[in-house]
Amino acid sequence: MSPIIKVNNLSKHFKVYRYHRGAWGALRNLFSPQYQLIRAVDGISFEVHPGELVGYLGPNGAGKSTTIKMLAGLLVPTAGELIVNNRVPWKERKAHVARIGAVFGQRTTLWWDLPVIESLELLQYIYAIPPKRFQQNMATFRDLLELDSFLHTPVRSLSLGQRMRADMVAALLHDPVLLFLDEPTIGLDVVSKERIRKFIQHINREQGTTIILTTHDLSDVEKLCERVLIIDHGKLLYDGSLNTLKERFGGERELCVEYAEDYLSIEVEGATVSEHNGQRVTYKFEREKITASELISRISLRYRIRDLEVREPDIETTVRRIYEEQLLEK
Amino acid sequence: MSSTLDIYRRLLLLQFRSQMQYRMSFLFYILNTALITTFEFGSLVLVMQRFENIGGWRLGEVAFLYSIVKAVFSLMDMIFSGFDPPYFGRNVRLGTFDQLLLRPVNITVQVLGSRFELHRLGNIILGLVIFVFAMQLTDIQWTWIKLLYLPLVFLGQICFFGGLFILGSTITFWTVDSIETVNIFTYGGSEMIAYPMHIYHQWMRLFFTFIVPAIFLNYYPALYILDKPDLFNMPPFVFFLAPIVGFISLTAASAFWRFGIKHYQSTGT
Repeated sequence: MSPIIKVNNLSKHFKVYRYHRGAWGALRNLFSPQYQLIRAVDGISFEVHPGELVGYLGPNGAGKSTTIKMLAGLLVPTAGELIVNNRVPWKERKAHVARIGAVFGQRTTLWWDLPVIESLELLQYIYAIPPKRFQQNMATFRDLLELDSFLHTPVRSLSLGQRMRADMVAALLHDPVLLFLDEPTIGLDVVSKERIRKFIQHINREQGTTIILTTHDLSDVEKLCERVLIIDHGKLLYDGSLNTLKERFGGERELCVEYAEDYLSIEVEGATVSEHNGQRVTYKFEREKITASELISRISLRYRIRDLEVREPDIETTVRRIYEEQLLEK
Repeated sequence: MSSTLDIYRRLLLLQFRSQMQYRMSFLFYILNTALITTFEFGSLVLVMQRFENIGGWRLGEVAFLYSIVKAVFSLMDMIFSGFDPPYFGRNVRLGTFDQLLLRPVNITVQVLGSRFELHRLGNIILGLVIFVFAMQLTDIQWTWIKLLYLPLVFLGQICFFGGLFILGSTITFWTVDSIETVNIFTYGGSEMIAYPMHIYHQWMRLFFTFIVPAIFLNYYPALYILDKPDLFNMPPFVFFLAPIVGFISLTAASAFWRFGIKHYQSTGT
């Protein structure tokens, strides 16, 4: 299958002008403008195949949204090659956006003062969705997202979770082949988050929609994405599976043990004690050096254990390590 | 894709329905603007009762000038509300404009359909009332040419100020710093041309003749329709420049708008 997104050496540079104040400054601005070149996206390459659900991660200002804007046809690249759905996005904006969907968690595309259904009906008209298809999609979404309770409520009166669900529907009514989700769970409570995640999973698996997900909530990524791209300072730092990422950059795992008695010395070979609080001890160990079961058996040979727990490094720490140490930079 | 005009119609329909959600606020807004205009025009009437004329123009003739601009500018302000520069600039900053670009519809139509300030109706109606009042006080010798030309004058004014709105909005792709200066030409300009322009200081009049040619939008057409003499001895074709000035303004602004969108897509502000 040919890729749905093909990005080759893509760059987007901005000139940020430094403005001088005052009348004299205005003249200087005009005749000798000074600017700083910002490499928001700096020579990235990757491919996404139909049906993939890719997490696109990076700290603020890393170049995430600039990339998404180029993929969506809102921005023209400075250099490099960009093909989405067999089109150059910015060259054929209307044809391109007719086949994609986008949800920006922070703002809504719906008409603020009108009932949700009226916005959806207008979108049906704009995207020329056949009535039958519209009905089918609405039936599916009403079921999955429990829309019925607020379909006739003005958007301004919706809760954040309801609004997000409505925006999801608005982005998917026209059966886009590619969906961009920007912080789709931001500010939501646990239940709403879970519902949105299930829905994202459903449309990816059942409808085969390709999804690019940018988020700061790494539990979104852990639950949804097999593959992640990590960008920082405009450069792609990592492209691969989430598991490999964890294994290679996950750092130390933790073993928390609650002993049945007080021991004076609780050292054990292959691990270091990071916390010692009465009978509760936390060990750190590296996955390359020792397995969890080996460590546990060593401990249990010497001490009596009441309870224990193995903690995996959370992905947040992992990603932070990559950002900070730039481990992948050559 | 559905036809662009139909989408515009539907966008407007949603605007009506949205604004009708706040019926009281809508009515108060209309009442408010109508009161301001009434006081404004009322004080003009009072002044003219005392001085009988402004620069040789009697009340009915000034009311003719005033009412046309009031009604037509308000109509323009309603149609082009989406291009009101401060409003548009805010949308660019907040990213709402990006969301319009994500829909497979002509972008200009979407901006026009994104806002439609219905409460401008108050001033439109009041302008028409004052126009009728002006008709009572003046004795215009109507000819076919005058009757046919008057709607073209309206159109010229709409296009001219609409063009200024588009120009101002396009500038916000680069900077939002001095966007209020555009208001000097739109709101300020429309105030200027509501009165006989020979009463202004010469440099001001010259500015509005040769730099921003607003004098041809209302003053010269009024001279023609009211059969008043041209104090500046311009060639007679200037009476008929209103639609041309409007057309040039709107065409130039549209070209600049398209250029601005290209620029926006290459910089994203």
